Amino acid sequence: MTVITRPAPPPVVEEAAEGAVGKRKSRHDALLQVTGQALYGVDMKAPGMLWAKAVRSPYPHARIVRIDPTRALSIPGVACVITARDIPHNRYGFTHQDQRVLADDRVRYVGEAVAVVAAETLRVATEAAKEVVVEYEPLPAVFDPIEAMQPGAPQVHEGGNIAARLHIRDGDVERGFSEAEIIVEEEFRTPFVEHCHLEPHAALAIPGPQGTLTIYSSVQRPFLVASDVAKVLSMPLSHVRVVATSVGGGFGGKNEMTLEPWVGLLALRTGRPVKMVFTREEEFQATTVRHPYRMRYRTGVRRDGTLVARSVEIISDCGAYVSWGASTLAKACIHAAGPYVIPHVKIEGFLVYTNNPVGGAMRGFGVPQVGFAYECHTDSVAAAVGMDPITFRLRNGLRDGCRLPTGQVLERVTLHQTLQRALELAGWERGAVP
Amino acid sequence: MTFHLRFWLNGQEVRTEVEPDETLLWVLRERLNMTGTKVGCEAGDCGACTVLLDGRPVTSCLLLAPKAHGRHVVTIEGLGSPAKLHPLQQAFITYGALQCGFCGPGMLLSAAALLTQNPHPTEREVREAIAGNLCRCTGYQKIVQAILAVSRGEVP
Ligand code: FES
Ligand code: FES
Repeated sequence: MTVITRPAPPPVVEEAAEGAVGKRKSRHDALLQVTGQALYGVDMKAPGMLWAKAVRSPYPHARIVRIDPTRALSIPGVACVITARDIPHNRYGFTHQDQRVLADDRVRYVGEAVAVVAAETLRVATEAAKEVVVEYEPLPAVFDPIEAMQPGAPQVHEGGNIAARLHIRDGDVERGFSEAEIIVEEEFRTPFVEHCHLEPHAALAIPGPQGTLTIYSSVQRPFLVASDVAKVLSMPLSHVRVVATSVGGGFGGKNEMTLEPWVGLLALRTGRPVKMVFTREEEFQATTVRHPYRMRYRTGVRRDGTLVARSVEIISDCGAYVSWGASTLAKACIHAAGPYVIPHVKIEGFLVYTNNPVGGAMRGFGVPQVGFAYECHTDSVAAAVGMDPITFRLRNGLRDGCRLPTGQVLERVTLHQTLQRALELAGWERGAVP
Repeated sequence: MTFHLRFWLNGQEVRTEVEPDETLLWVLRERLNMTGTKVGCEAGDCGACTVLLDGRPVTSCLLLAPKAHGRHVVTIEGLGSPAKLHPLQQAFITYGALQCGFCGPGMLLSAAALLTQNPHPTEREVREAIAGNLCRCTGYQKIVQAILAVSRGEVP
């Protein structure tokens, strides 16, 4: 058994762990939740508050010719309209600074925001949003990542549609395939998934003294949002405080800045608190989704069931902006070979811009897609050598001391124990075919 | 044109002026500041806005406020308080029937309506009673267990 040495934790942690592990504990906020006292983003209010509403693109790809808020501003009760021109630094993103707070020259997906209106009531804000005149010149759009990779495809951004390319090599995959007695090749596809947290995105911004700002938001990463808001609004970080409310579900969908800079800027402009809540339609159309993947698996195996080589190609539909796409793809590539001993591995990942909804973080971060593919594929490879899928997995599964294609050496691997226990619980009989 | 709405909210008489096309959900949350009733879709799909109207669960996002005129409305604030929890509220805590908790108020009211009508439901009846309440976090299992535990008198 391998023992990891690390400094002894302070006694208080020891004590807490002892008191908690193996015991039922209720959530610290359960009492507030069951009595309706927990305050979520949608519940936040402040006196004199305005409501905000976004103006969104009906086109998947178009040039913005002109935005005219005059008519909207003439509606009684409308306090302010902001567009890209009002954003001091209109770029952000974790790995790629490609995202706009509000669309400037072009819109790149249906639902991309081009302006935001603040008004005395939600009703007026909603009406006024329809009165912001936006003139578009539609451009050819691309919705399929394979098409987007072809020469001559509509360009979602300057610099080509391949936003990122990753590869992992281990051993010599060509040699591996030449040593294989059977080769199995398959393609798998996974769809878009919307997080569909029950609470929509919601935030309330309150202007403070000396140009400071407090934003209450239903968000999973308040500190990331605070630094992004400070950056795009060109404010010192010390002037922006983001407070996470109770979050009515996130699943990765509230892992980044969305409406916070809009309500923040509107609050600074009007000197009044500004609230915004997305509708369910906006959630589906304009917030991030799980990336659809196309995965091509090719595996070489010997007749006795020993895996010798695997190549994987992953094409991730990034949507219009990178967001968490590159980091999600990196994680998918790291996991793509599956929990099996394979001496020769080659993994290639492509992140491709399209005019689809933006892919972001979602539970598992790229791993559910590849997990689905490599486990289906493992069944096929087992069938090709005439072994039952469990025997095949037990034979090839990772153990302590195994090295992953990335070079990581594993410790405390429980794959075999987990499989055995699952077999017992499921009443699986050796030799049965699923 | 405003409508003079009068109804009983958690046993107390309430009078307020509303627009005739306002929903009960809006009136509760925005006019009366009772934010325990949640909003998830405003289309009758999620059940987060469930309240009891004369004892029956309704999605308050689909109910025009004037329809509640003269009637009894119970929201989560009226089911129990932190000092005096309804057995269902206690059971939801004990069984871990909540994660984000956003579905909780609606779920609890649907469950309360069921147990009033049918104190000893089968598991299937419990599942049917909460079919209109979506929970994206828990997978429902613990919610069903919590409701059944209350029906068996296993929660103080
Ligand atoms: S908000 Fe009423 S059913 Fe979803
Ligand atoms: S606990 Fe989150 S939706 Fe039910």
